[in-house]
Amino acid sequence: MLQLQAAGRAVRAMAEWAKQLAGIKGVVLDISGVLYDGGGEGGGVPIPGSIEAVEKIKASGLKLRFCTNETQATRGKFVAKLQRLGFNILVNEVTAPAPAACRILKERNLRPHLLIHDDLVPEFDQLDKANPNCVVIGDAADNFSYKNLNEAFRVLIGLENPILISLGRGRYYKETDGLKLDVGVYMKALEYACDVQAEVVGKPAKMFFQSALAEMEVEPQQAIMIGDDIVNDVGGAQQCGMRALQVRTGKYRPCDEQHPEVKADGYVNNLAEAVDIIVKQLHK
Amino acid sequence: MAARRVLKAVLVDLSGTLHIEDSAVPGSQEALKRLRSAPVAIRFVTNTTKESKRDLLERLKTLEFDIAEDEIFTSLTAARNLLEQKQVRPLLLVDNNALQDFRGIPTNDPNAVVVGLAPEHFNYQMMNKAFRLILDGAPLIAIHKARYYKRKDGLALGPGPFVTGLEYATDTKATVVGKPETTFFLEALSGTGCKPEETVMIGDDCRDDVGGAQNAGMLGILVKTGKYRAADEDKINPAPYLICESFPQAVDHILQHLL
Repeated sequence: MLQLQAAGRAVRAMAEWAKQLAGIKGVVLDISGVLYDGGGEGGGVPIPGSIEAVEKIKASGLKLRFCTNETQATRGKFVAKLQRLGFNILVNEVTAPAPAACRILKERNLRPHLLIHDDLVPEFDQLDKANPNCVVIGDAADNFSYKNLNEAFRVLIGLENPILISLGRGRYYKETDGLKLDVGVYMKALEYACDVQAEVVGKPAKMFFQSALAEMEVEPQQAIMIGDDIVNDVGGAQQCGMRALQVRTGKYRPCDEQHPEVKADGYVNNLAEAVDIIVKQLHK
Repeated sequence: MAARRVLKAVLVDLSGTLHIEDSAVPGSQEALKRLRSAPVAIRFVTNTTKESKRDLLERLKTLEFDIAEDEIFTSLTAARNLLEQKQVRPLLLVDNNALQDFRGIPTNDPNAVVVGLAPEHFNYQMMNKAFRLILDGAPLIAIHKARYYKRKDGLALGPGPFVTGLEYATDTKATVVGKPETTFFLEALSGTGCKPEETVMIGDDCRDDVGGAQNAGMLGILVKTGKYRAADEDKINPAPYLICESFPQAVDHILQHLL
């Protein structure tokens, strides 16, 4: 009886956002903290139910796009890791900051000084990096040494028109051994040091979500974003006109549900729960 | 301002005002002696992140300045006072030389973070450690927030960018203890029995020395030595009370006009 009551409450709680799902044609998924938790041996562990949830979306006829700020590996290597973990995911289903940044650098004839993770460097192989006229910063992790940050700073402070391109602006993320500082922290450090404003490529930039939607060929109001980052996933998607759910996995913290600026359309325990509800609504 | 009282205290910046690296600003030792003959309390205030009080004192003694240890008030002292007041155990991201100013403060199982200029500590692991403590509620205390400083091999990042990054990561504001914070100037005066409106500050940094002191209710005199660059005085509003060539002229003005 008690269990039934609890289940009843859960269903009623779900109902609030599930009622608004009419017209949904596409799902955009964040990866880290939604599909898997990074770090440790093998590069991470799948979040229970997420492997099946991805299959379920693909079987439902909904369009699916993965939208990540991951910059610790090339898109190809990152996808290969997810495949090894058991996910049904392809390189051309993933929107990631580094390929987007490469396009921008080429368009604007920019020669980057890179402050990024060693494993991301191949993504920029085709670009001229001599005599740099901008700095590109990504989630460099252990490469965020004082020496490396100072080098990036000196390039910027020496430019007449300093251009700082940041692959995302996240504050932190969760790995199996704890929370880790993300690129946004070091972007802010360089912004403050040089009195510049970085251009963000990645979530929560509107253009980044728009390019993911264009790939799916759906309108913002037909898409729902699912992520663990209240500001970059949920806030960014909503700014773009999408609906957005926050999962209580990954970097989620209970205080996110009282965030002063961003309110998700719904909060779910994990991706599996979100997908169950979305797919059920689809068949009503 | 109308009720300005007679001058009772003088605050003096050290680096750039009394000396530049290892040489004294010409005439400063004698000027300090002249100032000491007047009935004013004198305190030396400095934003140091690297040098302990003892290091500073040794350098000043070598340059033949007549200065006592208890007349020096540094941003490290201010940080220490704040730690004692809050009764917290800090993770100290400060230069090894500065550690002696924190002697006796417990640092086991830290529940506070102090950031000074410490390039050797600004690596990813240590920044993560500081970040996690702050996220768990540890206060973030910054010795100061300078953007960068000049090294022999060129410009180098100061503590400010790292403090700003940690603030962003944790959605908190650091407590900055050095100049130009009002509390710094007020704390420097404690023990003299003087009030801000009875005090004048002399320094070469228009924003941190002069602007900070004037915001605290003091008069500010800008000297054109040290880091001073043409038009620095335009950086603050209201403008400095007075601009002088160097410390001796500032002392002469005080002796002739403010007593």
